[in-house]
Amino acid sequence: MAKIILFTKQALAQVWHTILTKYYEVDLREDVREVTERVLDSPPDLLILELNEAPEEVRGLIATLKENLNLATLPVLLILSYGLEASDWEDLPIDDFFFEDATADEVLSRVHLAFKRIKRISDNNPLTGLPGNTSILRAIQQKLDRREKVAFCYVDLDHFKPFNDRYGFARGDEILRMVGRLISNTVFFHAEHEGFVGHIGGDDFVFICPQDKVETVAKEIIQNFDRIIPHFLDAEDLAKGYFEAQNRRGELELFPFPSISIAIVPNHSGRFKHYGEVAAVAAQVKKMAKKIPGSSYFIDRRKGPYRSY
Amino acid sequence: MSEIKIEIKKRLRNLQSLPTLPPVVSKLTKMFGNENTTAPQLAKIIERDQVLTSKVLKMVNSAFYGFPRRISTVSNAIVLLGFNVIRTLVITTSIFEMMQSGDLSLWEHSLGVAAASGILAQYLGLANPEEVTTAGLLHDLGKVVIRSEFPSLSQEISALVKQKKIFIREAEREILGGMDHSHIGQLLTNQWNLPERLTEPIAHHHEPSKSKKFFQETAVVHFADILIRAWGYGYSGDPWVPPLDEKAWEALGLRFQDLEEIIPLLDERILDLRFFTQEIRGEGFGQNNTLH
Repeated sequence: MAKIILFTKQALAQVWHTILTKYYEVDLREDVREVTERVLDSPPDLLILELNEAPEEVRGLIATLKENLNLATLPVLLILSYGLEASDWEDLPIDDFFFEDATADEVLSRVHLAFKRIKRISDNNPLTGLPGNTSILRAIQQKLDRREKVAFCYVDLDHFKPFNDRYGFARGDEILRMVGRLISNTVFFHAEHEGFVGHIGGDDFVFICPQDKVETVAKEIIQNFDRIIPHFLDAEDLAKGYFEAQNRRGELELFPFPSISIAIVPNHSGRFKHYGEVAAVAAQVKKMAKKIPGSSYFIDRRKGPYRSY
Repeated sequence: MSEIKIEIKKRLRNLQSLPTLPPVVSKLTKMFGNENTTAPQLAKIIERDQVLTSKVLKMVNSAFYGFPRRISTVSNAIVLLGFNVIRTLVITTSIFEMMQSGDLSLWEHSLGVAAASGILAQYLGLANPEEVTTAGLLHDLGKVVIRSEFPSLSQEISALVKQKKIFIREAEREILGGMDHSHIGQLLTNQWNLPERLTEPIAHHHEPSKSKKFFQETAVVHFADILIRAWGYGYSGDPWVPPLDEKAWEALGLRFQDLEEIIPLLDERILDLRFFTQEIRGEGFGQNNTLH
């Protein structure tokens, strides 16, 4: 049964609670700190929050969920009061709202709908919760059209396939989740709203950040990746310093531990018109980055307009 | 199983969060207000509080976040959880309504053991000294649980220590139906999916020979505990220095000359810690009212 946390002190709370519990597991709370703690402890499947009861905390919680925890797909409904302007939606990335006097039927319908809608519109990667290909293309194209001084960064892992072969997919998935978190946290810490992180699929990720911050971000991602990856390896391999797995020809081969490669393509003004051009250049740059053993980044220093080299 | 034991286990399963010292939380809240605060600076303060550290590690190792039993240090946890999540976590941490001198002394003891564990681990060339430091910091987490979840039993334990002049661990066993703080710490940190390299030293710091996979690390925390008690920094609940486990001592392989090198290192670290803990004591009780 899907789990809902309902935060409100409205008189109607009991009425809403009663009808919702017919379909969902509902946790009704009146203390915003308790709500936050529970959400962080084990996030529910849907969240209903009364904005005016604790505006600052509610906004903070929503931002934390959507931006930092890759929980963009967690539907959030707000309970609004009359007379207060329904705020700036730009800063309040929620899915729906209802007013303080909503009937039980309305609340139930909105909750049902929120669950259905999130399934329909989300292109987020189910493993990492990060935006998928449609959102990535849109983000890149938007930066190109606006000629923003950003860099497009393509990330992938070295020796990830043999790693999956040796350790199994469950461990591989753990690493992909780790990489997703690592990139998001580093990019958003330095670039805040100017940053973007997406997951193409498998071990391929994309991030966008301002050009003047990209090297700091890339270095930090690499440093943190190299520090954390040993925790995902078995002690015996760590002691040896390598792992054994089958190569593409099916023979046993010795592999170094997974490392991370970042291909950086700065958006010099007017260089690219179309996201396809960015992807093509990124593929070349990635080859350079991957030639360097261990974790590394490589920046495309060419500034002229794009030609198919 | 005794009734009290059943009750304790039940309470542990439902335990939402542990309270911590108000000054540490307010110090961190101030740091969040400053735009220039970096993740390593934040880690440095969180690493000086066993409750906050355990909270951060509990979250990053929870099934939902996807890294059960993997992450054992605050700095790695911050990287994976992100700044805003850490902020939310700290802001929602409950604090001791009435901070007692004993809370501060236990906190100092834990900091001292953390420092000593780190220095020993580094000196002995163990793989990850930062991790052993964390294990040292958390070794008495069970005592915080007893203090905050069972306040009246906690008072009975203290009274028994004074009355019978026994180790706090023996008093705990008498009052808690055979359980002591190391069992409680073990149960809780296992329930939170913390890595075994942390749960083993927490569980067996009094009987290191029971540690199977991380004997060396457990032996380090065991000895660090003894060192700090003998040092007299902080107070862990009784005034005695527990016996040194022979096997652990052998495993560490330390000689007198080694200690001559280690002691000055620790002396320096503790001096450093005293500045910090005095500041926290001052904020907790007001400058003119420093307790001991």
